[in-house]
Amino acid sequence: MQLLIEQIINGCALGAVYGLFAIGFGLVFSTLGILNAAHGTYATFAAIAAYYGSTALGLPFALTVLTGVLSGAVLALVVDQLAFQPLRGRGSGMIGALITSIACWMVLDSLAGSATEQQSLSFPVGTYPGAIWYVGSVPLPEMQILAIGLLLAVTVGVHWLLAHSRLGAAMRAVGWNQAAAQIAGVNPRVVIVATAALAGATSGLAGVLGGISTNNVSASLGEGMLLKGFAAVVVGGFSDVRGAAVAGVGLGVAEVLSAQYISSSMRDAITYGLLLGFLVLRPRGLFGAASFVRA
Amino acid sequence: MGKRFAWLMSSALGCAPLVAAAAPPAGDYKIGFITDSTGPLAAAGLSYRRGAELAADEVTETNYIAPNAKLSLEVKEAAGDPARSIQDMNQFIADRRILATSCCILSAIVNSLKPVVAGKIPLVVYGATAPGLPELPWVYSVTALPGPKDTETAATVVKALQPKTVTYFVSADNDAFKARMAAAEKVVTGTGAKTSGVISVLGTDTDFTGPATQAMGTNPDAIMIYTTQTPCAGIIAALRARGYKGTIVGNDVLAPAAMWKKVGAPLVGVPFPLSFSPEVNRSPEAQAFSSAYQKKYSADPDLYSAQGYEAVWLIAQAAKSLNERPTRENLAQALANQTKVDHNVYGGLNVTNGQAEVTGVNIVNWTESGTLAQWRASK
Repeated sequence: MQLLIEQIINGCALGAVYGLFAIGFGLVFSTLGILNAAHGTYATFAAIAAYYGSTALGLPFALTVLTGVLSGAVLALVVDQLAFQPLRGRGSGMIGALITSIACWMVLDSLAGSATEQQSLSFPVGTYPGAIWYVGSVPLPEMQILAIGLLLAVTVGVHWLLAHSRLGAAMRAVGWNQAAAQIAGVNPRVVIVATAALAGATSGLAGVLGGISTNNVSASLGEGMLLKGFAAVVVGGFSDVRGAAVAGVGLGVAEVLSAQYISSSMRDAITYGLLLGFLVLRPRGLFGAASFVRA
Repeated sequence: MGKRFAWLMSSALGCAPLVAAAAPPAGDYKIGFITDSTGPLAAAGLSYRRGAELAADEVTETNYIAPNAKLSLEVKEAAGDPARSIQDMNQFIADRRILATSCCILSAIVNSLKPVVAGKIPLVVYGATAPGLPELPWVYSVTALPGPKDTETAATVVKALQPKTVTYFVSADNDAFKARMAAAEKVVTGTGAKTSGVISVLGTDTDFTGPATQAMGTNPDAIMIYTTQTPCAGIIAALRARGYKGTIVGNDVLAPAAMWKKVGAPLVGVPFPLSFSPEVNRSPEAQAFSSAYQKKYSADPDLYSAQGYEAVWLIAQAAKSLNERPTRENLAQALANQTKVDHNVYGGLNVTNGQAEVTGVNIVNWTESGTLAQWRASK
């Protein structure tokens, strides 16, 4: 029983990283209408920036995380304005944006490889919270608690922003119909910039947490999150960040438990099989209306 | 008649040393080198390439093959991708300047290249670890097979610490590591220790908290890891982070200095077998290699750079043994005739049926100061 509890906690912590990534990924899709294949590189660069901030500049943990979050936001903003903004003017549609995002992914992936000298790096022990708390005999590593707590905080915060703030209303309006939103007085450019930065920031946070908890800061970090994040968004429903968070956690738990109790080598097949089954039963996703065209 | 006989004899004797010392002519000799300096294997790939480049420089500078015979590498990137590796190899085969080739970290890629090179160009494998890769006279391997070292390490550790239960980690998507684990498990169970669990991970995995929890749940006296580099590092870090205090046995992927830089303290005291390290191999050749490598790259060589180095030296040695201009065909035959690599950093490198074998096994561990030392059991 203890093993089951420990593995569920492990799954929740792993899923928290997927969930954070999925929130950013879903925001870009639902608001900007971009299936952004380069989104994983935001997490990668955030982790790399945080790593160098921690090791080269000796930043304390909180500033290390902040460095990663800001790096993710800035990179997402730059990519959006340089690569996607020109496409919006020409109305190139989702396919054009997807192909552009793949090109960005390849370029940024190569740059990330150079930034890490093609190595897999790790945050040194002692630069992040590494203590283990115990509830009875069940260990609770601090980083796992932190990851789950941050997912909760970000989910609540972003949901409130979207549901109860003027900016959130503008983001939903632009996501639904940009021309109509503009007629109603929304400045789409401001909304696009804010959405890109927010999505980059949440993915950056996922990158930093993922880099620390897996001891892997490398060019492949974000690539690993991309498919999981996409799955979480699809299962959770494109239009609600709560769905992405819940589905991310569910994905993490399914992954860990299937490896523990069924087969670790068949883990991904089992996990994605379950997701497929879920979508057959509920194609709209957990929350809201799933749409593969545009929310 | 007598004068003529005397003249013939003196001519023959005079020429004899010349014939015996006949060497390949001066000129440019090129080795096609497929590297994985980017992609998931880049950390090791860079080391292999640097070792090979250093060997080519040394062969040229010392006129090893022949006076004014220049040996150089023609490098193509494959990033660990089978399709790109085959494409690179086909380009080398088409380029008649290339005499021989060297490649590959992954055994699966070597197996896919074997039919491509057969009858066309010699291939010396520098990194793949599966047994049975050589196919004379076209395919050779200088990779010191890790299997014998794994079993000797497992036997040594079990004899010293006498664990009653052992849990194993294995790369489920890597046949070579599965075979290595099976061989080690056979040795361990032969001593009476029981297998308390076998946990499979994949080469692409990055999160090891779940597998570490699973292993600790089996409550083993020792954990032995037979996985590729990233999982091996991640598993050890996760085990120690979750408070596992028992014995962990690693494998040779822990040897590069980059691993210490990446994992640090959790590696201290973890025994693993090692074919080469500048701190452990103290022969004059090993020290000269280490100094030259440090001077050229401002970094210490590791076991991978040593293997890249030996791949080129084996080809150079075969070329030198010819008394005519090397061609792909006569070079392949010359490689088949080599029974050892004369210039080696291991203190002995025999070649049997195209497969190099390192004599002796070092069992080492990382120390708190970040250096490698001979492993000593501490109960």
